[in-house]
Amino acid sequence: MDLDDDTSVLSTLKSFNSFISLPEHPQRPSDHSATGSGILHNQYKRSMELLEAAEKVQSKNRYLQLDQEKKRMEMSHKRARFELERAVSDNARDLEHEVDRNQDLVGRIKKLEGRETDAAKNLCEQVEASRALRKNLDGLNKKIDERDSRLNTANQTISSMKDEIRELKQQMQNKDSTISAQTLENQELQEQLDLQRRKYQEVSQLCQSLQAAESSCSEHVIKIKELERRLAFQEEDIAIVKTVKLEVARLPDLEKELKRLRDDNAFLRESRENCSLLKEEVEGLRRKLERMEKTKEELVNMELEKERLAEKLKAWENLGQSTGLNIRSESSHTFHLLISCHSVSVRSVERSQAELRAELSQQRSRTMEEQKKREAQDALVRRLQKRILLLTKERDGMRAILESYDSELAPTEYSPQLSKRLREAEDILQKTQNHNAEMEVRVHTYTNSKPQANACARTFFSSSRQKIEDLEAERQRLEEQNNILEMRLERHNLQGDYDPVKTRVLHLKMNPTSVAKQQRQQEVDALREEVTHLRELVRSLQDGGALVHSQDESNLRKQMESSELRNQRLKEVFQRKIQEFRTVCYVLTGYQIDITTENQYRLASVYAEHMDDSLLFKKGSSGSMQLMETEFSKTLGEMVALHLHHQKSIPAFLSAVTLDLFSRQTTL
Amino acid sequence: MTSTLKGITLKGSAELVAEFFSFGINSILYQRGIYPPETFTRITHYDMSLQLTTDPKLKNYLTNVVSQLKEWLFECTVQKLVLVITCLETSEVLERWQFDIECDKSAKESSAPREKSIKTIQDEIRSVIRQITATITFLPLLETPCAFDLLVYTDKDLLVPDKWEESGPNIINQSEEVRLRSFTTSIHKVNSMVAYKRTDSV
Repeated sequence: MDLDDDTSVLSTLKSFNSFISLPEHPQRPSDHSATGSGILHNQYKRSMELLEAAEKVQSKNRYLQLDQEKKRMEMSHKRARFELERAVSDNARDLEHEVDRNQDLVGRIKKLEGRETDAAKNLCEQVEASRALRKNLDGLNKKIDERDSRLNTANQTISSMKDEIRELKQQMQNKDSTISAQTLENQELQEQLDLQRRKYQEVSQLCQSLQAAESSCSEHVIKIKELERRLAFQEEDIAIVKTVKLEVARLPDLEKELKRLRDDNAFLRESRENCSLLKEEVEGLRRKLERMEKTKEELVNMELEKERLAEKLKAWENLGQSTGLNIRSESSHTFHLLISCHSVSVRSVERSQAELRAELSQQRSRTMEEQKKREAQDALVRRLQKRILLLTKERDGMRAILESYDSELAPTEYSPQLSKRLREAEDILQKTQNHNAEMEVRVHTYTNSKPQANACARTFFSSSRQKIEDLEAERQRLEEQNNILEMRLERHNLQGDYDPVKTRVLHLKMNPTSVAKQQRQQEVDALREEVTHLRELVRSLQDGGALVHSQDESNLRKQMESSELRNQRLKEVFQRKIQEFRTVCYVLTGYQIDITTENQYRLASVYAEHMDDSLLFKKGSSGSMQLMETEFSKTLGEMVALHLHHQKSIPAFLSAVTLDLFSRQTTL
Repeated sequence: MTSTLKGITLKGSAELVAEFFSFGINSILYQRGIYPPETFTRITHYDMSLQLTTDPKLKNYLTNVVSQLKEWLFECTVQKLVLVITCLETSEVLERWQFDIECDKSAKESSAPREKSIKTIQDEIRSVIRQITATITFLPLLETPCAFDLLVYTDKDLLVPDKWEESGPNIINQSEEVRLRSFTTSIHKVNSMVAYKRTDSV
């Protein structure tokens, strides 16, 4: 670059020089003619211009140089900067490294310090531990010394024990021999046991066979009982069959009787009808009888008249006799004629009478009918009158309504409709009235058409009434039954009954009751198993204990015997002591005290005059002693009164009694 | 469900009745002490406080039964629901709570809802449950440990579902019966009654 600059500088110098030289030549000739001042001025100008150009060139050069230098400097700057920056970065890196290292070191220092402290602590602890260990060591040393001493003693004991062991071994050997002998015995016993077991098994088999036989026996017995029952049933059946046969034998007779009874029934029914007919005949005959009696009376009257007429005839005959005989014959003839005529007339009269009577009866019946009809008619009339009254009232009311309507309403639209309605209502009314009248007429004709059958109708009515009453009673009974059944049904429904045809009861298979029952059953089973297990254990213990702990048992037995002996001895001792005490009491107090029953004490004095003289004391519930009445106590009434009632002291009383008896004895 | 609608449909009625049974059975179990009272929790329903069990096995059992019962109520094939209380030691029935169900079968054909307000039905149910609680005063004490079972009386020709089996009616020997209140949803009518074993000392 410098070389280029140099070359450029040189080139520029060269050019400048050339430029300077050139203008001088052309200038000189051109400006030679000009004034010299002007030429100088121009030369000066040119030189100045050249100088300026040279300066410019120089400055340019310098500028270029400076530029170059600047660039160089800049380059060097940049290089320096780069290097510096590199150095800086290197330094920074180094710094960072150093810082990290520093931190590491610091951390290490801290850790080391911590370790130091820990180590110090450990040291202290170790020191303490070592002290403690030393103490332990000392203790242990002491113990070791003790143990050494003990060991020595133990060694001595060991030696002694070894001697004992030798002795025991000898004993063991002796015992071994005995054991072998016993094992031989044991084997023999076991063989016997086996034999016994076999026997036991046989016996058990026999037992089982026995039991099977017994069960079969019981089954046979049951079968026998069943067969006997069946026999009994069969015998009963046979008896029943016999009775049934007898009854069946009676059947044809019964059938005959039935037929006879049916015939009798039919006959009786016919006879009943006949009876009714006969009754009617009887009535008719009664009426006839009445009529006949009346005719009889009339006959009697007629006979009386006949007698009168006969008397008259006789009178007439007498007259005839008195007057002449002719007349008699004629008159007798005429009289006979007359009589015949009379008789004829009498007969005709009788016939007419009978006819009249018949007519009378008919008329009477007709009058009855007519009366009935009249009564019916009267009843009808009354009813019709009542109805008429009601209808007239209705009519008046309707008319009033109509009039009111007519008065209220002026237009003629309503009235024709109302009048139409009125007419319709009246027509309906009339129709109903006619219908009612017809019905009543029918009823009356029905009732009147059978005057002769009134009795039958009455009987029919009475029988129908009875039927009605029976049916009513049955209905009431059935209603009561129905109510009772309904109540029962309701009750059953409340209780939860159901009709299996229409209803089904369902529940879940896994329901709480079944679950609870299962649990309960499981508990029970578990408990039972436990119980059986425990029982087996107990049995095994008992059986096992008997063999293994025979020694303990013998010990226990010995203990028991010893304790029993002790008890016996204690009893004897107590007995003796009690006896002693009682004798001493007897001797010192003078009374023998016996306990007769619970809370009753019998005192017998040593100076008693008789063997039976004794005082009876009873211990009350409060603990106080009371004297009971005895024969002896009755003789001591004064002393009882003085000592017991007055002084209230039993010892005083007893001592008084003793003194009294003693005095009596000594005097005696 | 039906509380937003105006009337009662067959499905809604079946749900109401099944819900009543669920709460009723729970309160009977609590009142009679079949399960310990600490296994029950208090909840509010029908505007009153009721006890509901928290025992998971019992809950499971009750949901099984009540869901099956809902189906049967919808089909109108159930006639009675009976809660039977049995003594565990002697296996005899001590108490029987019986609920007769009368179903209006015409509701099956027509699907039009019936006019009856939910509030009146709930009032009726509330009075029934209150009465059940009040009956405890005259029922004899259950001194022995007891278990309960739910029986359902259905039509004979019904198909028996899985896990269900036929059982006896478990009628009490020598019983006293008391009829309690009833309620109706206008499709289902439920009559309640209780039968208990007569105690000789009374």
